[in-house]
Amino acid sequence: MDDLPLPVDGPLPADGLFAEARRQLTICNACRYCEGYCAVFPALERRTVLEDPDITHLANLCHDCRACFTACMYAPPHEFAVNPPAVLSEVRRRTYDDYLPKLPRPPWTGLPWMRGRAGVAALAVVAAAGVAALALAVPGGGPAGSPYRVIAYPALLVLVALPCAWGVAVLAMAAARYWRQTAGSFRGLLNGRAWLAATRHAATLRYLRGGGADCSYPTDVPSAARRRLHGCVAYGFLACAGSTIAAAAEQDLAGVRPPYPVVSVPVLLGIAGGLGLMAGCAGLIWLRRRADPASSDPGMTSRDYGLLIALEILAVSGLLTLVLRQTPVYAGVLALHIAAVVTCFCMVPYTKFSHVVYRFLALVHDSAEAPGRQ
Amino acid sequence: MITEPSWDVVVIGGGNAGLVAAMAARRHVPRVLLLERASAAMRGGNTRHTRNVRCVHDQGDDYTPGTYSFDELWRDLCAVGTGPANEQLAELTVAESATLPAWMSEHGIRWQRPLAGTLHLGRTNRFFLGGGKALVNAYHRTAAGMGVATWYEATAEDLVMDGDRAVAVTVVAGGQRRRVPGRAFVCASGGFEANTDWLRRYWGDAADSFIIRGTRDNDGKVLAALLEAGAQKAGEERGFHAVAVDARAPRFDGGIATRLDSIPFSVVVNSAGRRFYDEGQEIWPKRYAIWGSNIAGQPGQIAYSLWDAKVSRLFLPPMYGPASAPDVPALASALGLDPEAVTRTVDEYNKAVVPGGRFDPGGLDECHTDGLDPPKSHWARPLDTPPYYGIAMRPGITFTYMGIAVTADARVRTADGAFENVFAAGEIMSGNILSTGYLAGFGMTIGGVWGRIAGRGAARVASGGTSGGTSGGSDG
Repeated sequence: MDDLPLPVDGPLPADGLFAEARRQLTICNACRYCEGYCAVFPALERRTVLEDPDITHLANLCHDCRACFTACMYAPPHEFAVNPPAVLSEVRRRTYDDYLPKLPRPPWTGLPWMRGRAGVAALAVVAAAGVAALALAVPGGGPAGSPYRVIAYPALLVLVALPCAWGVAVLAMAAARYWRQTAGSFRGLLNGRAWLAATRHAATLRYLRGGGADCSYPTDVPSAARRRLHGCVAYGFLACAGSTIAAAAEQDLAGVRPPYPVVSVPVLLGIAGGLGLMAGCAGLIWLRRRADPASSDPGMTSRDYGLLIALEILAVSGLLTLVLRQTPVYAGVLALHIAAVVTCFCMVPYTKFSHVVYRFLALVHDSAEAPGRQ
Repeated sequence: MITEPSWDVVVIGGGNAGLVAAMAARRHVPRVLLLERASAAMRGGNTRHTRNVRCVHDQGDDYTPGTYSFDELWRDLCAVGTGPANEQLAELTVAESATLPAWMSEHGIRWQRPLAGTLHLGRTNRFFLGGGKALVNAYHRTAAGMGVATWYEATAEDLVMDGDRAVAVTVVAGGQRRRVPGRAFVCASGGFEANTDWLRRYWGDAADSFIIRGTRDNDGKVLAALLEAGAQKAGEERGFHAVAVDARAPRFDGGIATRLDSIPFSVVVNSAGRRFYDEGQEIWPKRYAIWGSNIAGQPGQIAYSLWDAKVSRLFLPPMYGPASAPDVPALASALGLDPEAVTRTVDEYNKAVVPGGRFDPGGLDECHTDGLDPPKSHWARPLDTPPYYGIAMRPGITFTYMGIAVTADARVRTADGAFENVFAAGEIMSGNILSTGYLAGFGMTIGGVWGRIAGRGAARVASGGTSGGTSGGSDG
């Protein structure tokens, strides 16, 4: 009796994951009832055989809206045990890192929560210490409320631009590897119409609409909450990026140095973006806590929390630098915000943020494959 | 036995017909109870496995382009099997179907365009977004919002009769027998296809080989109770909607994913390796439902669909995958058939195919055989392009037709009249309309139309009105 292996609940072994996804998707392809919900099922139907890269493509095309799971008569407790959102999110989680370039891994990337809470904390402390050391070593100047009074402009630029360039470069390499493995030729990337269509689908979060019925998230009652909150986060993030670009333009093109008045492009964009991020992330965390764990991959759930909490910290610390810029604690708050930004750029390729890259490429691939879909 | 408080209308069965009846009744009376035998996760009976509904429409729209007139649906219904069982009730069904899609939309149903690979259904049948379980979910949300009460895992065992009136239904729920009194009752509890002993009465041992495509709960308990109470039978004992399913399908609840649509593009042989029926007689939605009976009539209730590489993309891919082989004898061996017999059959068939005809998977084409018995009237092309594919098939029963006779206002008939306050809708009374054969999507039409009629009628009786009168009328 003792040598009988106990049945184990929990994640499948990695080599069984694609086999399980293939089993489920073969049932989906014999049924097709969910064809109207999103792009995944029509893309599945276009494929005669399902190789692993096809499954990875479908997994990244899946927006985890869960309309199919709620509608599936083969979902557990049915013996066919079909649960596409769960199996596809596990495929995503297991493959996200496969596309990262084979660089020596920073030590903090080994564990699941943003690859290690201790690592993140250590990195953040290092970043904060670095910011403080730089601020002391390179004394700045400028009017009250100017960041350059806390830390000199060249020092700040190097401190933020280097990790930013690193994060972007690693994600770009990951994007190239992902495209080569799932779509093959790079020529497909030159399809302008596919880029336009993908941009439209991403900008409107079309596939978080459940085919018009809204998505079954966090419960099986259709709701637009997730799409709206995700929109707040995405557009909040873009507004914050826009705020930074606008500030750079004011400074380097118009020659106007910070601090900028409240009624100025950088500050207004920053306030709108920061509030959008704050509200969106808080809302998504709240939805995540209510969502049915049966259709989530636990590893992906912790990554979701990781990204949302990181963005929340960025948003809150960023807004505080604005609100408190005329107070004595400004220097400390700014140092914390910069440390958070540096930490996030260092971490970004190893976080759920990478879903932006892979899902967008999956949308481009899908739009190129099915030009008829509007 | 626990005696529950009384309800205006008690609906037995939580599939399409029962949900529609409950909502239709709730528009007129406050206390409506729906008894669902399954758990919340498995609710909806056979409706879980449906995907579309066939309705008359004078104008096309995004979901059903083109028109589909009363006359055309009536002709289609008359052309299946031996035609409608009761012409008056069948005509009423067709006429009432015209208003059904709008009613469904009002009650939360969303639609989608016809699914890829479902040839010939786009103009006549409306597909609900996400299929039958999504429809059941939407109806439950709407019903709950209207104030319909639902009990899950509640099995109706018997009706307590007082003359021609039912006074209560006996329900087993939560491990207790309960007497649930009501003013009117709607029986929407399905056929008896999951009751193998009952099937065996009409089919003998062949019933043991039948695969039940839907819920294992349709054991005919309420149907038996009604017959016992003096309800009049309707429909053929051996009448059912049965299709060809993968012989490897589970005994119950395999649904659409185990159905095989390869037949019109294939050659079908029995266990002796011989053909036995025209595979290309008509377009598939009008003929797919005779294949359950066709296979049930073959030795061992098994048959084999054989096709080649030319057509493998023309139908929904089977969920378990076909057997494949580089030549016909090897395919026969892989399927456990006599290679010589199958090769002889395929050779004869290939020789009989009239060459040069126009092949059109989307309609009745010119590809046929000459001098072959039985012939293959359409889509006949030689089996000559490897790899060759094949699958063993068994009869897959969707639902049985033999049920109870009803009046035009859905009341259950007796030998000399009708019960005053007992109504029926859906599969349990489908034998009033269908005799043999089936028309794709019409089961949902019967459930929707008769659910509305039964729900309205039950509400009228419950609120003290008479049960007679017309079945049409406004629902508003």
